[in-house]
Parts: sequence; C-alpha cells; structure tokens
Amino acid sequence: MRDAVIVESVRSPGGRAKRGGLASTRADEYGIQVVKGLLARVPKVKPEEIDDLIVGCAFPEHETGMNLGKIIALGAGLSESTSGMTVNRFCSSGLQAIADATAKIRAGWSDVIIAGGCETMSHIPMGGSSMRPMPDYPWDKPYAYVSMGITAENIAANYKLTREDLDKFGLESNRRAYEAIKAGKFKEEIIPIQAYKYKVKNGKRVRETMVFDTDDGVRWPATLEDMAKLKSPFRAGGSSTAGNSSQMTDGAAFALVMSADRAKELDLKPLARLAYYAIAGCKPEEMGIGPSVAVPKVLKLAGLKTTDIDLFEFNEAFASQALYSVRKLGLEERYWKGDINPNGGAIALGHPLGCTGAKLTAQILHEAKRRNAKRCIVTMCIGGGMGAAGIYEML
Amino acid sequence: MSYEIKKVAVLGAGVMGATIAAHLTNAGIECCLLDIIPFELTEADKKKGLTEKSPAWRNRFAENGLAGAIKSKPSAFYNKKNASMIKTGNFEDNLNMLADVDLVIEVVIENLKIKQDLFAKVEKIVRDTCIVTTNTSGIPIKDISAKFSPKLKERFLGMHFFNPPRYMKLLEIIPGEKTKKAVVDYMVKFCESVLGKGVVVCKDRPNFIGNRIGSFDMSNAAHVMFSKGLKIEELDAIISKPLGRPSSAVFGTIDLVGLDTGFHVSKNLYDAVPDDEMREYFKPNELIQKMIENKWLGNKAGQGYYKRTKDEKGKKIKLVLDYKKMEYVVPTKPKFESIEAAKKTEGGFADKLKVLFNGTDLAAEVAREYLCNNFIYAANRVPEISDTIIGIDNAMKWGYNHQLGPFETWDAVGVKEAVQVMKKLKLKVPKKIEDMLKAGHKSFYVKKKDGKYYYNFAKKGYVKLEENPKIILLPSLKERKKIVKSNPGATLTDIGDGVACLEFHTKMNAIEENLTIMLAESCDIVEKDFVGMVVANHATNFSVGANIFFVLDAAQKKQWDLIGKGIEALQNANMRMKYLAKPVVTAPAGMALGGGCEMAMHGARCQPHGETYIGLVEVGVGLIPAGGGVKELMVRCTEGIPGGAVEDGMNLQQIYVKVFQNIAMAKVSTSAAEGMELGYIRKTDGISLSRDQHIWDAKQVVLGLAKFYKKPRPAMIPVMGENFRGLIDAALYNMRQGNFVSDYDVHVSRKVAYIISGGDCAEGTWVSEQEILDLEKEAFISLLGEAKTHERIVHMLNTGKPLRN
Repeated sequence: MRDAVIVESVRSPGGRAKRGGLASTRADEYGIQVVKGLLARVPKVKPEEIDDLIVGCAFPEHETGMNLGKIIALGAGLSESTSGMTVNRFCSSGLQAIADATAKIRAGWSDVIIAGGCETMSHIPMGGSSMRPMPDYPWDKPYAYVSMGITAENIAANYKLTREDLDKFGLESNRRAYEAIKAGKFKEEIIPIQAYKYKVKNGKRVRETMVFDTDDGVRWPATLEDMAKLKSPFRAGGSSTAGNSSQMTDGAAFALVMSADRAKELDLKPLARLAYYAIAGCKPEEMGIGPSVAVPKVLKLAGLKTTDIDLFEFNEAFASQALYSVRKLGLEERYWKGDINPNGGAIALGHPLGCTGAKLTAQILHEAKRRNAKRCIVTMCIGGGMGAAGIYEML
Repeated sequence: MSYEIKKVAVLGAGVMGATIAAHLTNAGIECCLLDIIPFELTEADKKKGLTEKSPAWRNRFAENGLAGAIKSKPSAFYNKKNASMIKTGNFEDNLNMLADVDLVIEVVIENLKIKQDLFAKVEKIVRDTCIVTTNTSGIPIKDISAKFSPKLKERFLGMHFFNPPRYMKLLEIIPGEKTKKAVVDYMVKFCESVLGKGVVVCKDRPNFIGNRIGSFDMSNAAHVMFSKGLKIEELDAIISKPLGRPSSAVFGTIDLVGLDTGFHVSKNLYDAVPDDEMREYFKPNELIQKMIENKWLGNKAGQGYYKRTKDEKGKKIKLVLDYKKMEYVVPTKPKFESIEAAKKTEGGFADKLKVLFNGTDLAAEVAREYLCNNFIYAANRVPEISDTIIGIDNAMKWGYNHQLGPFETWDAVGVKEAVQVMKKLKLKVPKKIEDMLKAGHKSFYVKKKDGKYYYNFAKKGYVKLEENPKIILLPSLKERKKIVKSNPGATLTDIGDGVACLEFHTKMNAIEENLTIMLAESCDIVEKDFVGMVVANHATNFSVGANIFFVLDAAQKKQWDLIGKGIEALQNANMRMKYLAKPVVTAPAGMALGGGCEMAMHGARCQPHGETYIGLVEVGVGLIPAGGGVKELMVRCTEGIPGGAVEDGMNLQQIYVKVFQNIAMAKVSTSAAEGMELGYIRKTDGISLSRDQHIWDAKQVVLGLAKFYKKPRPAMIPVMGENFRGLIDAALYNMRQGNFVSDYDVHVSRKVAYIISGGDCAEGTWVSEQEILDLEKEAFISLLGEAKTHERIVHMLNTGKPLRN
C-alpha cells in the first residue's frame, strides 16, 4: 500500500463566538485564508496539483453551506481541476477529512489533497438554524437530539465526577493555554487572519479589517473560587458550567496530505502520517465517553498500548467527559505530567466543532515536533454517541 | 404663545434625575441627561487609559445615573430599549444641548447657591420658549429664581416628582409669583395627559403639600407610638391596611425612603415653619438620631426599623427594632379586636373604617388620636398651603398612596363624630370646622344630581368640583342613566359621541358566563346603534382571566359539554368582537391575564395603559389559552410576512418558538411596551400614560377608526405542522433531563406545541383561525380531565400561587 503523509498542518486562531476576533468574518472567508496560508508555506506544491479539498463542518449551512469544500477551493485560487467536498461527522469532521484524504491517497485514488475543517459558531446556532427533529420520535427515543450539555451532566452524575474535579480540570486548561500563548508556542501553526468587524464611524457604517493572530478565549487569571460561583445552564444543580465546558468558537484548520512518493519527488520533508484512525459508537446520552471507546479501538488496530503513545490531544468538549475518558484509560497521571493537552484544550482555546479535529492535529503535530515525540493521538467525543481517535506517527 | 414639549433636558443624574429622564422616554420624549464632571481622575481611571479629556470620564456621573435607571427595580423604563432616547453629557461640555430643548428639569443637589449658579448658565443658552423647572422638594421657588431675568421668571416653576417617578402619581406644580398662567396651564395639561401624572398645583410654601402633610403624618404616628408605649410592629399593624395605608405602613415606608432622607425633610421643615402650631413634632426624636448615628438608615443600609436577614436554617426572616433595648427581635403578631371587627364588616372601606374608629380597644384609641391629629393639622393648612381641601386630599392619595385623603377620611368617620372625639382628647378644634358644622354642613364632600361638590372654607359653602371632559367616569355616567345594558358580570354604557363602553365588574374582573354573554350582546347592540365600542374599566386590573373556580367545578362534575359550550361562547364572542362591522378598542390597564389578555387581543385596536401587565398564564393552572389566545398570538406574530415568503421556504421556527415560550413559560409583560415586544399588543397601537384619561383616549381611537372602518379580512395562519412538534419535543426532552420542568409541565407544553403546530399537517400549510380555535378547545378539555390540572387549580385558588407538579 502507498504511504500518505502530512507535509504541513496549520490553523487560524480560535475566536470566541459572537464576541471574538472572527465573530463578524464569514467562515468561508477565513477558511480560504487558512488554505492560502497553507499553500504559501509549501511553495513547491503548485495549486493545480491539488486533486481535492475536503472540509469538515458540523453545521454546513448559511455561508458554510453550498458545498463549502468547492467554495474554499475556488476562493483560495486553486485550479478548476481541483474538486471539493464537505464531510460531516460533527466534532470529528476535521479529523475525518484528514482520514478520508489519507485513505484515498493510500488507495492510489489521489495524490495531493487539502483536508481540514471550518466552522462558524457566531453565525450558525448549535443544531443549525432550521433543526427539524422527527415528530414523536425524539420523545420516545430522543437520543439523537439530546443536548450536549445534558450528556455532560449525565457523565458527571453516572460516573461520580465531582464539581471540584471538573473545575480543577477547567482551571488547568486555562492555565496551560495561557502559558503556551505567553511562550509563543502557537505561532508556528497559526495563520494570521485578515478579519473584519463592522463599526459606525462618523455616522456611517464601515467595515474595518484587522489582523487576528492569537486565540482569544483564554480566561486567565482565574481561581477555583470564581469557577465555583458559576451555575450549570444545562441541569438545575448540575456541575457543567461555562468555566469547565468548551467555548463556542470560530475557526478553520487545514493540512496538506500527499503520497510519500510525491513528497519525495518535490523534496518536501513530511511532518507525520495518520497511521491509524478509528471511530466507535456509544450511548447517545453519554456521547462524551467516546474517546474511552475509540482510543482502545485504534490502539488495537495499531497493535499498540497507551504507553507507546508520547502525546495526546483529548478534545475538551466538557471537563466531565474529557476527565472521565482520561481516567477510564488510566491516563490521569500523564495528564498532570503534561503528556495530554500540554498547551490547554477546548475549555480555554475553544471548540469550533467541525474544525476541531484539524485544529488539534495542527496543535499536536507542532508540539510533537518540538518535543521530538514519536507517536501521538488525537481523540474526541461526537454528538449522537461516537468517539474518534487517530494515531499520528512523526516522520 | 403656545408651548409644545418634544425634547427635555434633565440636569442632575442622581436617582431622581435619571429615573425622571427614564419616565420621559416612557412618554416618547427624547432627553439629555447632564451632570457634573467627576472630582478627580482615580488610579483605576488612569490604568484604563482615561485622561481628563476622555468623554468616558467626563460624562461618568450621567452615564452611571443612566445605568442605574436601567438596572432599577421596579424598572424605571417601560422598555429598556428606551434608554437610547437619553443622551448623556456634563455641565461643562454639553450645556449647548439645552439650546433646542423645550423643557429643563433641574434635579441637582439641594443647595441654593449651586442651583442658582447652574440656572445662571442655563438662562444664557435656552431659547425663549423653553420652560424651566426645578424638582426641589425643600428650597423655596422664590429663592431659586431670585436672580432670574423677568422673562425667565415667567417660564419658571417648581415641578416636584415623587419617587419613583414612573410609579408615583403625584406631581406638584409650584408656580412662582411671576410665572405666566399660560405656562402653568400648559404644564398641568402636559403632566397629566402626556406623563400620566396627577397634578396638584401648590403654593410656594415649605415642602409644598405632599411632604408637609406627609411629614406631619409620619411624626404624628411616631408620637402616638411613643406616648402609648407601642411596639413598632404594633403601630404598623394599625396604621396600614386598616386605615387605608400602604402595607409597608409607617416604619416600613420610612425604611424604604431612607431615614436620612426623612430626617432632612423634617429638619428642613422645622427650620422653615417657625409659626407652625405643631412645629415641635418635626424635631427629630432621640430614636431617629441614634439610628442615624448607627447608620441604620433603612433598606439601603440593610437595616432600619426592620431588618431582613436569614435564620439558622437559611430561611428569610424580617426582624423588627425593639427601640427600648435598641436591638432587633422577632416581631410579635399583634391582633386587635377592633381591626378584626372592621375586617368582618360588610360594605366599603368607609364602613370598615368607622367600625375601627368607634372601637373600644387600644388599636381604636391609637387610630382615633392619630387620625384626629391629622385632621386638625390638615384643616389648619387651608389656605396656608392649599386654597382647597382637594389639593391636600389628592396629594396624600397620589403621593403617599393613602386610600383616602385626610378630608375624605374625616368624612368617612363622620365630621361631627370626629370633632366630639377631638374634644374628649382635649385637642383644639379648628374654628373653621366648628363654623362649618354650625352652619349645618355635615361633610366635606357632597354628591348632588349634577356632580360632586366640595366644601370651600373661604366661601363657607359647597363648590362644584370642576369636571375634566377628558376624564370619563363610568360610575357617574351610570348615575346619569347612561346604561345601555347590564348584567351582574358587565355593563355597556353610553360614553357619548356614539361610542359605548363595555365595563367588566365581576370579582377581580374574572371572566365568567355573564361577562361573555354581555360581550356578545354588546357586540350586537353596538353594531346596530353605535359607531364603535371601548372595552375598559376603572378597576386595578383589566381582568385576571377565567374564573377557575367555575371551571374546576364543572370539570369535577365531568360536565364536558358545558365546558365545551363555555369555551365556544368565549371564542365566538372574541371573534365577533374582532370581526364586528364597528371598531372595538380594548383598553387594558393593570393585569390582563389569560382570558383577559385574550379579550384585550381581540379588538380592532388596543390602547393599553402604560402599566399593563399582559400575558397568557394558563399553564400555571395546568391549562392552555382557549379563548383564542394562542390563535391570536400566532396571527400577530405572522401577519407581517410578505406574500409568497412562506411558499419560498421561510423558516417560521424562530417566530413560533417565541410564541411557544410566551405561553409555556406564562410570560407576563411588566409594561404595555414590553407587551408589544412579546407580541400581545401591536407595535402600531398607542399607549396611554394617564389612567384618568385612558377611556377618553380609547374613545378617541374609536372615533378616528369609525370614519372609514372596514372590518378585517379573515386571517389565515402559516404553520409548521408536525415539524414544530418534533422541534419542541426535542427541546422539552432536554429541559426535562435538566430538571427545569416536571413531567406534567412537559405534558401541558406538548399540548401548547400541538396547537401552535396547526395539527397534523405539513410545514408551510395555511390554516384558518377556526382550526386553531378548535385545537385550543380540544386541548383545554383534555387537560381538564387530568388530576394534576385539578391540583394546580385547587392550589391556585387556595394560595394564589402556581403549583409545579
């Protein structure tokens, strides 16, 4: 079988939904800018060589509708011969896109693919703007429509995670993210965005462009006392709060995937390969345990154990599900040691749904490079009751 | 010269200034709100990068004042969006804003020099038609205007609002010696019709009328308490509801206002009225002095005469000050025989009061002494502070929420009877009262065939009360045989110019059979004999909804047919009103809940009073609106959709989710303006601020409509069909999982969702009004068969509060 490798992996900064740096900017616009930034970093690859552009998006409508994949391809100046596709597996969409690209290249069906994710939570509500659950169905068997917050509360309640556990986890995520930004760790992977905002100047409405280059969701300094004051919006007396849940975020992230042969021809130094990818189903009302079933599945495929993995990115949809999954896999010690989410997670940096898989890929590959890690895992839970996990081997 | 107020400047952005500005916006008037520049730049300011040139710092006081008004509870604004009608600024940079205003209201600190200096600047900027006023409560108008040019003196007067300005009816207008009559007349009209206030024109005497009589009233109560050795809670149990006073009573009210404020008003008065025969009463007593030293200033300090706190179990409790020991204790629950006897007395408030006044226990003794002192003091103030008794009575009713003014109270207990008590108490009976009784005049007010008269001390006889043609009083029209038709539930009265008024008068204006019958009959009569109809009444509440006692009774007897017919009758009456060939204008005020809301929604137009609390609250008793409420809210929220939009795939989800939330969460507006936001009242309808002129306003709308009236075309409603049910089911599942709703809440909510969905149909279907009415009826009857709905109704009947079961 052919080998498929990732040559570069980049992301936009995460912008807080509604208030942050990308709140006014269209998602297709910053999606296009990230792809252009990616190509600019690999000038040896000619645009007409890109065979396909696969974008993950959890709510592909509005500006991310109309097959966002082809729209970004055209907008980024790729040639007419480049195709485009949008994939949706909710929160793993971005990772799924990279997995699909890898599989196609390995099969010999394609040579060079741009794959990633793009989401605006500023412009499109969770569930989309015209959600239509099946009449009667949800009440008797509402699983597919259960709100994510309820699933987080279910996990905390069913597996006895305390409020303090969750708040500590949330606090640590923010602390790590703050330190990482201060140390300039994300600079390498971030494509600064020419974002815009609408303002009123001298009585006239104007569009102002500005550079957005740093994740803007981190809340630091913060204290456990502050966090303890927050109330759960999901369940009366519940434990998942704005302080220990992922933020609603806008963002885009893409990776350049190509056959190892082509990379060699072009004299490109590959970063990593997505060696294994698995998706596993679980109970919809406990969808957050997803990583705890997906990680063993992908390890089994690879014939590896967690001890063979140097670095992990567990998407922090909620502290309850992330912490549960980490504990279930016996990895809590390694979390505090810094092998897991070393630079903070979605609680601090945001979770732009369909973009997240590609965003975490950019984060983990650059971190792995920095620390000379050999293998790493990106994993996340998925609404509706799934988990996804991918093993990257560094090259 | 004629005046017209379109724009106002409020100078001083303290609590009063900012909330006066807020109320002006409630009346649709733009304002600027100015205050001084802060004294110095703080370290925190410097950290934020502010300098002495930053507008954010320079306008801080005005900005903070406005922010306080936005946050105030109860809300100063009808709709917080009104805040955008207020421009903030400061006295140094922005006085030029005054160049185009029509009215200036000065509300700065009570300091003569500061006021004079400010007005000197104001005089240079305002145009010569601008009316200039001060909201002072203690400084003579004469002194403030001493240095004014003669021209400005003609346009200057005192304009004294009571706190909170949105809610307190009293507004005192104090003309200066040189104020033009045209200015005074215009301002009275403006304050009444536009701001909705009750105006009392006062003389330029210390503390004017309200606070002069009010201060005495409070001091008098305290004196009686000390002399009789009563506890605070005992006095408050007597001088409150039993005497027609607000339930906050004497000391609760002082806590609310603030002891320091009360102290300053009294002290100011003591210094200003050296000849007042009761002057010593205004001298602050030892207790209040000690409390002020301790900073026990009332609610704002967390403690005053009362202290709200929590017991060991975390339960909220209210302690009272034991002023002998100066410590807070659990209040006793005083019970008085005479008060109990008064409560049980049949008849109106006057009858009950008489029983208490003539009682034999301590409470009666206190009431007698307190009231007689009040009577004498008020009588002695004519003509010193007011030429007539009416000014004093109105001031106390509108400014202090007394049910009756002192002279009306005196009438209630009997003028002669009270004088006998005074003599027994060795009080000095005013000569003018003795004269009045000697001349055979037995009361201060008398009703004659042509109207109401009051006793005028100067003329030593009765003078007819001036009637304001804009105040339509249904009882007085009834006396004049203007009743068209009446039954025990409602009355149709001819209010002139071809307009009839349908007035509800069941208990709390609850909707029951008689009322529905009368509505239907009124429609028939009006269509034939009138140009249109107003639906309004003078009660505190327009209507609190269906009489759930009858509904429960019928349900317990399983009289489903009867219930079905009752619903149909209400639906039909509402629909008849909506589609009448003559225009009907509903004029809700106070609460318009459930069935009351439905009726208010079914006129050709609605002309609500500003203080209208409207909503469909049926789910609180386990029911759904079945008189056309769901239907009409659906019509309201979709009627502006352009033709073809639904067919092109318009998403109705966000509209109907709001409709659903209104009903399923029993949302009630806190003002008519908010009722418009919720969709119960059309945004194109007018809002009346004057309760007195409310019916007149509604009548004018009828007359205007009547000129070219065509009844509306039957409405068709676009619905979301089964998809809406799916949407709400998913949302309800999550709310149930989150423990925010009970299983039965879900059950009732799903009924609401089914009605809104339009039944078993596809998204984008157009349904008729009748189809939705039928769904309402079906859901209503089905819920009445449920034990949990019965429990909710019983609980509401017993406690007045909704049950979550």
